[in-house]
Amino acid sequence: MSLKRVGILLGKEFLHGSKGYIFIFSIVGPIVISLMISLIFGTLFTGKPTLGVLDEGNSQLIPMIQELDTLNIKEYNSTPEIRQAVESGTVDVGIALPADFDSSVTGGGKAEIEAYTWGESLAKDRSVISVTITNLIREMTGQESPVDIETITLGDEVSVPWSDRLLPVIVLIAVFLGGLMLPATLVINEKAKKTLEALIVTPTSIAEVFTAKGTVGLIVSMFMGVLILVINQAFGSEPLLLVLVLALGGIMAVEIGLILGILLKDFTSLFTVWKTAGILLFAPVFIYLFPEIPTWIGRIFPTYYIIQPIVDISQRGGGWSDIAINVFVLIGLNLILLGIVASMLRKTQRLAS
Amino acid sequence: MARDAILAEELTYRYGELTAVDHISFNVAESEIMGFLGPNGAGKTTTFKMLTGQLKPKGGQARLLGMDVTKNVEKVQGEIGVCFETTNLYEQMSALENLNLFARLFGMRSFDGNALLERVGLPGRGKDRVETYSKGMKQRLMVARSILNKPRVLFLDEPTVGLDPTSSETIRNIILEERERGATVFLTTHDMLEADKLSDRVAFMDQGKIVALDTPHQLKQQYGRRALKAKVTGDDGGLEDREITLDTPETAEAVRKLFSQEKVITIHSEEATLEDIFISLTGRGLV
Repeated sequence: MSLKRVGILLGKEFLHGSKGYIFIFSIVGPIVISLMISLIFGTLFTGKPTLGVLDEGNSQLIPMIQELDTLNIKEYNSTPEIRQAVESGTVDVGIALPADFDSSVTGGGKAEIEAYTWGESLAKDRSVISVTITNLIREMTGQESPVDIETITLGDEVSVPWSDRLLPVIVLIAVFLGGLMLPATLVINEKAKKTLEALIVTPTSIAEVFTAKGTVGLIVSMFMGVLILVINQAFGSEPLLLVLVLALGGIMAVEIGLILGILLKDFTSLFTVWKTAGILLFAPVFIYLFPEIPTWIGRIFPTYYIIQPIVDISQRGGGWSDIAINVFVLIGLNLILLGIVASMLRKTQRLAS
Repeated sequence: MARDAILAEELTYRYGELTAVDHISFNVAESEIMGFLGPNGAGKTTTFKMLTGQLKPKGGQARLLGMDVTKNVEKVQGEIGVCFETTNLYEQMSALENLNLFARLFGMRSFDGNALLERVGLPGRGKDRVETYSKGMKQRLMVARSILNKPRVLFLDEPTVGLDPTSSETIRNIILEERERGATVFLTTHDMLEADKLSDRVAFMDQGKIVALDTPHQLKQQYGRRALKAKVTGDDGGLEDREITLDTPETAEAVRKLFSQEKVITIHSEEATLEDIFISLTGRGLV
């Protein structure tokens, strides 16, 4: 196999195949669905509140705030600067800490903080900032909170936010639209237009043609998977593991796409299969949409082994030990599918005709 | 004596129970144009595909430029050019993009697509998308694609079928130019006149077998029936046809009688066509 020829074909697919509607839909579709869900369930454009600080005396409060992951902090050097930042909405709240702030607080005195608030900032963000600062100052002075708050969840114990339940659906759509539909349509198109016949009478082998088409699917699939996780702020603490799972998921999608591309003669058949047999690919998402459904049902379907590790990492803070078994099953399934693709290519000498 | 560019020995292919190509053997010398004739379903395209490495023979062997096609597919395909009967260009791409893509797949470092397009009669159309081309233009582009790597063996499957006379003539000229360059040409066609005009030798294929193979002249000599065809004035004053078979003991007497007893208006000799020969060999026509 010549990687140079695969690269040439890959370039052709991206340069000319990207104008096809499947290509465009596989990119636009998941983004639109994801944005709609984010808008409906309110996770879009709701970033962390931002605090602007003018620190005139190297206060200990600053590093304490920087350690928090619930607030963003920006530092300024003068009152006009911080006022301008608040007026422009760069920060939600700006505070000016005087040079003797720490000594006043720790000495039991009463320190005054001048706070500026952006008029258009969300009330919840202002509340988060003021409560956080109050708690940190109390911590600086060594005081304990006089109140213990016990949290009681009301309603369904297994209740999961809908944005979280829908994430597996969107990720699967993103991975499989690009990963499965692109290679399948590219192969079917080459067969239908008989251009595959023209390619394989050059030194290019059919394996090189399929590798290029599979790579297009894998790249788009992974890119879309990552993008959807970023849009949904669901990248978790193990981004490399997540990329590994997305890559393995993309490979599975590509292999299924190539098999369909070899077997099917036209786009109508492909869309019929997508609409009917697609339920088998998307079945595992029901156990995330409706957590009451027993998990073992999901394990029957191959795509479970893509979705479960992604959920483990992105929503449950899991690491390698939590996903290892599922990842190995996924690798095994990919090897079986690879064997099927290779066998079909060997037997399909007459594919182009 | 020129070496064989193509050598088929007992070449066989079966689609299930159907034997499409049945133990055929032939050779094509370097710089020779071989016309491969036969009706639909005779096995021409299957033979074409085995020779170009698209199909693995079920029996026998195909050698191109001394190489076993099955064992050296990549090398063989680097030395050949193939023009298909059905248009199979990337229609969303321009003509130049099509040619450049294939030039790169052949590993060509320098390639002048515009010069090639000019050669096939498509000057100034390189940047147009192929979908805007007429059938004749597309076919000329297909021929350009098949010769861009300066192939040592050029395979052409019905290259002029359904084309206007100008496009057909352009393509025929290119075939002759390629032969002049030194390429061997393997041409399958239904067009008897084209085969007669272009081919050094022709092979007739029927039901998977080669039923005759020789130069057009030899085939006509061997299988054809030469005749004199005359138009004479009949008893009612109208024109009547007369035909005298040549090369028989009675020919001289028949000619003498024709001129002594009838009023001859026109007379000419007629040679058998390749189609006549095919019919006489197989009992059926070429289409």
